[in-house]
Amino acid sequence: TARTLVPGLSVLAHLEKLETQVNRSRKKLEEPQGAQAVESSLGTKIRDKLRSEVKQRQARVAVRDTSVEPDQTLEISEQKAWERKRENVKAILQAYRFTGLSGKLTSRGVCVCIHTAFEGTLLDSYFVDLVIQKPLRIHHHSIPAFIPLEEISAKYLQTNIQHFLFSLCEYLNAYAGRKYQADQLQRDFAAFLAGPLQRNSLCNVLSFTYKVELRGQAFTFCARLLYKDLTVTLPTDVTVTHQGMDTLPTSWEEQRASHENLFCTKALHKVFASFTQREKLDMSLVH
Amino acid sequence: MTKMMTVLKAWEFLSENQLQTVSFRKRKESLAQDLVLLCEENGVSLNDAALLDIIYTQFHWHQRVWDVFQMAKEPGEDIDLSDMEQFKSSFKKILQRALKNVTVTFRDAEENAVWIRIAWGTQYRKRNQYKPAYVMYYSQTPYAFISFSQLRSNTPLLCQALTIASKHHQIVKMDLRSRYLDSLKAIVFKQYNQNFETHNSATPLQERRLGLDINMDSRIIHENRIEKDRVQRVTQDIFGDYSQPRLEFAQYKLEIKFKSDLNGGILAEREEPLRCLVKFSSPHLLEALKSLAPAGIADAPLSPLLTCIPSKGMNYFKIKHK
Repeated sequence: TARTLVPGLSVLAHLEKLETQVNRSRKKLEEPQGAQAVESSLGTKIRDKLRSEVKQRQARVAVRDTSVEPDQTLEISEQKAWERKRENVKAILQAYRFTGLSGKLTSRGVCVCIHTAFEGTLLDSYFVDLVIQKPLRIHHHSIPAFIPLEEISAKYLQTNIQHFLFSLCEYLNAYAGRKYQADQLQRDFAAFLAGPLQRNSLCNVLSFTYKVELRGQAFTFCARLLYKDLTVTLPTDVTVTHQGMDTLPTSWEEQRASHENLFCTKALHKVFASFTQREKLDMSLVH
Repeated sequence: MTKMMTVLKAWEFLSENQLQTVSFRKRKESLAQDLVLLCEENGVSLNDAALLDIIYTQFHWHQRVWDVFQMAKEPGEDIDLSDMEQFKSSFKKILQRALKNVTVTFRDAEENAVWIRIAWGTQYRKRNQYKPAYVMYYSQTPYAFISFSQLRSNTPLLCQALTIASKHHQIVKMDLRSRYLDSLKAIVFKQYNQNFETHNSATPLQERRLGLDINMDSRIIHENRIEKDRVQRVTQDIFGDYSQPRLEFAQYKLEIKFKSDLNGGILAEREEPLRCLVKFSSPHLLEALKSLAPAGIADAPLSPLLTCIPSKGMNYFKIKHK
């Protein structure tokens, strides 16, 4: 617009306003005196000079505007490309709003929110603020540092935004799910644990020692859960070993093997919940 | 005094009763003697003392200068399947294999972080417990924060131990250094701006006006209001409306040729580039830079060399003539 191209215009406009006001107030007084006549002619001179200045500037601006046209058409097509990309992301968010992906368009792109959940429980939300430019880039985010965001961006961000968002969703939901299971174990089933639960940032390596009581006998087992795939919430490798000098009786060896299987197929806290249930059942049978 | 109490309490080596017997209003020397006596009563070991040293550093990290190192894995590398205990034991083993005379102490911290204290010795010299190195590392991330007390001759060994123990392949020292460990963390983990536009935010962040009070006396008119608005907008676009991470300086090493509008001159004819160092210092550098254009001291937008500091994670620059 002309306003931004002629910075001094506000000053000139203001001076003109003042000058008009002075004229108006003078008309009210109706005292055309000598000194004031001189002043008014001076004022008129200044005003005319200002007016001609403004007209010259405006003419210069008009010339500049016409000479700028070819660049403007380039700007327009870039603008269109930018808008198209933005609309694309908007469509993705609209289509997948029930899968925990939501977002808001910003002045330079889009701010995506990933809501994580595990088996119906809503967990943490993470944000990625994208700037839609060439190349597409992440402005800032709240993704934890141990999630391989750079790896995922390198693979998909420039070529397939949808895949980028889905992949990120997968990693975050899986991490949130694993963390939830570990937290639940520590919170609700601490009584079973013989020592602290050992975990790492990604919660993809969990080690713990737990004791199980059955029919008056108690044994201690050592479990190590590995999640080699960062997009899963059930372990890929489970080892349960017997802690102690004595050899395990056959029935308990069966228990150990069944535990290994349980950890592979059921969520961690659910496995311990089933232990609790079994103990209760056991107790009720005894009494 | 209360900080000393906090540190001692976090140490959990002296009991509540013992701590209550100590008077913190005494002179430093006699207070120290009292504490030493109590420690000896409890049978204090070198490890306990090292732990106390870590806790003190955890409360006073701003008294040290921290460097940031970045590690990288090979592309297509397997996922790290080690836990914190494996990392610690691996790290300690590597150092002890190379230098028999070394004290390594660990203390776990929140958010899967570990603080490591290393006191160095050599084959012929005893370990120097007064000049240890400290490392702060968040497991399964590529960044480590290291602070040395003296000559860095042990840097390569420390870096090697870190890299191998954390299952990485290479390590590079970043051009980023500061006393403010929390700001360094915010910069490399890109956590310095946690204001996100969500469905819940009423007005887009960019539209909120900064500074100019619309309800001011209508007889006072701002000249150059348009320019002022532009400066505010540009500043906000670049710096955002969150508080900047805290750094004390930015240093630019220049190796450039002299450029002049005037033809000739001895400096312009000089073949070799000129070398100079420009250093910006401030109690809070980024906030100071942010306020330059609105204060009218500099043009907006500022040079990208200044504004790229948090996004590039650098406050040491080398600028060479192309």
